[in-house]
Amino acid sequence: MALKLQVAGVGKDYLIPVIDSVAFGVEAGEFVCVLGPNGCGKTTLLRIIGGLEPATRGEVLLDGKPVVAGDAHDRKVGVVFQEDRLLPWMTLAENVALVLKPLGLSPAERRAVARRQLALAGLAGFETYYPGRVSGGMRQRAAIARALAIEPDVLLMDEPFGALDAQNRRIMQNEVRRIWKETGRTILFVTHSIEEAVAIGTTLVMMSARPARIRELITNDGAIPRGELIERLNTMIMEEVERQQGGAPLG
Amino acid sequence: MSASRWPARLHLPTFGALLAVVAVWSLLSWRYGAYLLPSPLSVVRGFADIVGSGEVWTHTGASLARILVGFGGAVLVAVLTGLAAFLSRLARGVVHDALAVLNSTSVFVWIVISIIWFGLSNWAPIFTTFMITLPVVASNIVEGVEQVDRRLLEMGDVYRLSGGEKFRAVVIPSTLPYLMAGMKVGFGLALKVSVVAEIFGVTSGIGYIMNYSREILATQMVFVWALVMILVMMLTDKLVFDAVSRRLARWR
Repeated sequence: MALKLQVAGVGKDYLIPVIDSVAFGVEAGEFVCVLGPNGCGKTTLLRIIGGLEPATRGEVLLDGKPVVAGDAHDRKVGVVFQEDRLLPWMTLAENVALVLKPLGLSPAERRAVARRQLALAGLAGFETYYPGRVSGGMRQRAAIARALAIEPDVLLMDEPFGALDAQNRRIMQNEVRRIWKETGRTILFVTHSIEEAVAIGTTLVMMSARPARIRELITNDGAIPRGELIERLNTMIMEEVERQQGGAPLG
Repeated sequence: MSASRWPARLHLPTFGALLAVVAVWSLLSWRYGAYLLPSPLSVVRGFADIVGSGEVWTHTGASLARILVGFGGAVLVAVLTGLAAFLSRLARGVVHDALAVLNSTSVFVWIVISIIWFGLSNWAPIFTTFMITLPVVASNIVEGVEQVDRRLLEMGDVYRLSGGEKFRAVVIPSTLPYLMAGMKVGFGLALKVSVVAEIFGVTSGIGYIMNYSREILATQMVFVWALVMILVMMLTDKLVFDAVSRRLARWR
């Protein structure tokens, strides 16, 4: 089966090497969580995959076609950033409808899709609200609705719930999991929370400390008990954090 | 309900201060005579006269027409400047430096130069107004353009919005409040400056008629026209700029 997304030896240098070389493939419908210590280049990797930044080495293939940053493109990739990035002067529905313009939908169709996607994200009744009038969690839901509205081949999410409190975070994790089940989208989700990754991902990509490589690729199908998996991942992350700081292992 | 709101609307302390000013004014007027300080009553009577004769519209209209051309031109050029600053980093640097120079130039410089260049014509106050308000409005727009959230533009790239769509959806809405603020300050300045420039060489406008009133020793009319200026300023502020700003900020 052809891979939906192929990350082939991708590396990135700024002044120092940030990502050494990362390679993995994602099949259609997978929910991949990318984990790793803070500052290991998770966001950079996501931005390269999304075509927002060029890679120094290697390439990203989406449906077999290379993703080139900076060019005008015809990719259908939805991105949910750490911030909602909604336009504050547009209502939630207008925000969603806006990204449908390049797809050539009529205004009536755009409104209909926006309404449907907002409802799917649990925002029915809030279509005409401005982002400033709803909670942070609702704004992030609207950003997810916007990303899903274009029927993306891949949905990229960069710690989308980082700014939410624990309760909202839990709710949103369930929502994303539900939306994923309902739509069958391919999702790449960056997080630094092991519990979050284990709770929602089907595949976990554990990154090493900077310069990042893949430390381990784990299929999260329930074969390993959840508690044990979390413990193993915690140990890995602590080892990587220590390596990044260049200190001796604790204990 | 409405009875309890009225005192707040009138702003009672301000009203009290006004009464005190009028009282002191009357006293001083009685002491020094109508040439130095005309009485409040004569000013009110003078105001009623020019409203009755329609003279108020002639001169206010003439001043506003000049402002419309001079200030309107300044807004137009300022918008183009902001556009250039948005599109090119190079232009932004040049614009910054040019505005710094213009901002440091005195009104009087432009009045003198405009008389040399345009003689005693409408174009002298128009040009002066243009040169003085341009840097004020342009500085605001350029700042607004620099404040455009690049992360929102990046969002536009992700979703393949065209350059025009990004401009309409992101750049214009985030720059408009700055433009409005610049226009509000700029218009006030335009009124003050064009009136000064009207002292020279034109035969209509609030500045002309104030200076003329002084020459014919009708001091009360100087006060009357000052009052007209104040009213024009306050009315445009309330009716135009505040209304537009409120409309623009309805999503806040």
